[in-house]
Amino acid sequence: MTGGRRISVAFAAVFVATAASIHVVTAQEQHHHHAHHDHSMVLDRDGMVMNANADVLPKDCTEVSADLEFEVRVGRDYARRGLTFGYNQHEWVVPPCARVTVTLINEDQVRHQWMVHGLPRYLYPQGMFHLEVSGEKRKSGTFIVPSDDRTYLAHCDIAQHMEQGLKGQVVVGSGNGTLPSIPGISAQPLPDDYASGR
Amino acid sequence: MQWPLNRSGLATRNYLVDRVRPNVAGSVTENSSASGTSAVRFAYLIGVLAAFALTLWNIPPAYLSAEWAAYRNSWMGGSKYTEAPPSRTVSVAELDIDEICSPDFDTWRTAHRIDGVEIEAVSDCAPDNPWDIAVSVRGANNVTEATLMQSLFAPDAVEKGDDRDGDGDPDVIDIRLEVMELNGKSPDGSEVVPQFEIGPGITPGFWVFAPKTRGMTTINFESLVANRIVRLPAPVIRIEQGDEVRITLENSHYLPHTIHFHGLDHPFKTSDGKGNDGVPVFSEHPIMPGKARAYQLQPRHAGTTFYHCHVQPHSHILMGLQGMLVVEENRPNNWVQTFNIGAGRVRSPSVAVREQYDREFDLHYLEIDSTLNNRIQRFNDPRLVSRSIHRGYNITKRSADYFVLNGRSFPYTLREAMVVVNPQQRNRIRILNGGSEGLALHFHGHKPRLTHRDGVPLSPGQEIQRDVFWIASAQRVDLELNTVNDGLNAYGAGAWLLHDHREQAVTSNGIGPGGDVSLVAYEKYLGPRGLPLAVGGLQSLAPFFSSAYYAGELPVFSGMAGHDLADPEQRAFGATNLWYFWIGILALMWLLIIVPLRRWRAR
Ligand SMILES: [Cu+2]
Ligand SMILES: [Cu+2]
Repeated sequence: MTGGRRISVAFAAVFVATAASIHVVTAQEQHHHHAHHDHSMVLDRDGMVMNANADVLPKDCTEVSADLEFEVRVGRDYARRGLTFGYNQHEWVVPPCARVTVTLINEDQVRHQWMVHGLPRYLYPQGMFHLEVSGEKRKSGTFIVPSDDRTYLAHCDIAQHMEQGLKGQVVVGSGNGTLPSIPGISAQPLPDDYASGR
Repeated sequence: MQWPLNRSGLATRNYLVDRVRPNVAGSVTENSSASGTSAVRFAYLIGVLAAFALTLWNIPPAYLSAEWAAYRNSWMGGSKYTEAPPSRTVSVAELDIDEICSPDFDTWRTAHRIDGVEIEAVSDCAPDNPWDIAVSVRGANNVTEATLMQSLFAPDAVEKGDDRDGDGDPDVIDIRLEVMELNGKSPDGSEVVPQFEIGPGITPGFWVFAPKTRGMTTINFESLVANRIVRLPAPVIRIEQGDEVRITLENSHYLPHTIHFHGLDHPFKTSDGKGNDGVPVFSEHPIMPGKARAYQLQPRHAGTTFYHCHVQPHSHILMGLQGMLVVEENRPNNWVQTFNIGAGRVRSPSVAVREQYDREFDLHYLEIDSTLNNRIQRFNDPRLVSRSIHRGYNITKRSADYFVLNGRSFPYTLREAMVVVNPQQRNRIRILNGGSEGLALHFHGHKPRLTHRDGVPLSPGQEIQRDVFWIASAQRVDLELNTVNDGLNAYGAGAWLLHDHREQAVTSNGIGPGGDVSLVAYEKYLGPRGLPLAVGGLQSLAPFFSSAYYAGELPVFSGMAGHDLADPEQRAFGATNLWYFWIGILALMWLLIIVPLRRWRAR
């Protein structure tokens, strides 16, 4: 069990080593695990954009249905009471097959992310589209959502940042439900006990 | 018959039967025959006798004196010899070495030359990643993109520039740290996040300084396990004497923190007049969540020092916000390894260390009271965490239950926290005691020599050689471990134990071997993938790698030829007998108290 996790450490390392290259690069020879994917990452001191895709349609889309752009602001100032961080909004509704350009604007002096999970893996390695901004900067990236009604997790993966408020949902079409613990939207499955405070 | 219980029991019975008789008669209908009445009376008698026998037969031995137990045995035929129960068989899963030491690490153990950085080969089961080391030596701004991508560092985790003194190495160093929580609470599930095990299944909560990383904190989205650079202990930071160093703390945590540089030459205020000592109230305000602050250092002396948070230090230091900071002596062309992730062997030692020593090791000790550390696993709201940590926990009642060396307890120390040596070597060992108790560090088979205390070199006359070093809280000692087999410095090759000799420290919450037990292991005593050779082979290490062992579920001695000292199977006055005993008591109470009472009332 423990060892299994250890092994995944190595896999993760291999993944990072192979999946990533700087400044919008495509797949390279040394890819072992995801050799058939186009991986892309833009990385600099301001942050990174990973798996951006403005051109390739998901299999189930015949055309880009809409071109949307929105800003996501992140920082302490957007935190709900009892939490530390927040996005300016925690739900983003987009039509199926929309091309979405997101600009993540970080108002804190630490790193924050806007990472979407569960996208089709044939298009987005690890099923992920990722924006990360280091300090008071901004980063933009574009991705195209599939056609089915689904609700995708968007969060910041830095330790405790999701738990402390950086959890939201991208709702495609009418979505397929609401995720738990979305600030201002849904309840926490394991909420704090304010009655006893223990 | 000399059976007091029996006698008094009979007396009671006769008495009650006598008293009950008219009731029995009275309660039946007037039409009932004499034979009907006597049948009820007989059934009652049998019932009382049966309940009495049931009770007597099942009295737990613990309720009787030895004398009465003997009475019962002689009366009830329980005096035969009975064999003690056999041992419980305990099955321990086969030790899968691939799970303990991944084959993927094989390429990390060998010697490397990456972007001009020479990285020494190691035997460790879980070695440091060579690309992390190359970035640590050159700076993220001086390595190739491919190297940076194979590390987990952010592009500004460490940047090096400006050779001010023209001696061939960079003298302006920029370092960025973040504050990460390990084994904390999630409102979405009962598992702690992100996970870091100090031993099998042991996950106390921690706060740590981590080199600024990028991307996910976990190893991937499917896993809850923290990535390799977000861990306990905080990284050992190495700088060169005279370097202009800026260390920026990006407070990515939900509570305020600072850094205080203990034993390290630093001005009280920065060049722009801001606090630089990390102490709230007197030096500065704490760095609030989401904020960052730069500290400035230009150390004039070399030595092993200590950095830690100074906000509510009695809890924050012990939550894990502490690390070693080593100032290496100034030498030409001296590119020092800025981060030593997880401490342990330094795979790219400084010029001065290479001049005098064959190998260099950083050992960081810490003791943990999980009743403090696990408070972060109870709450999500930072106000509740803060109240519990800072007001609910009373450190004066502290009692440590876990003990770690380089963030791990035995047997995980065997994977990455051993001092691995060869004969005829001089090894430099830098030690920090980051806990709040003293440490009695004992080296089996060796008598190292104390060369520095708190970063200050001792003159040859002051240097002492011994096998137990008492290291005070926050103290650093540098030792020279000489492996020449002369009966004083060393007794020859072996897999020699290395541990804190306060006996609680060789356990994990009282289960041993655990705690900070590690080894001074000679390479020829290492087996596959750097695990030490054990009597009985690798398989004899298997029990220690199971969480059941540290839950106290495995016997200490099992499977030892000729002497079976495993746990016996449970037997005899077990649950069933106890049930019968109480059923008998209840039946007696019903027959002897309730029934007569009801008859009496009905009359
Ligand atoms: Cu964040
Ligand atoms: Cu602190």
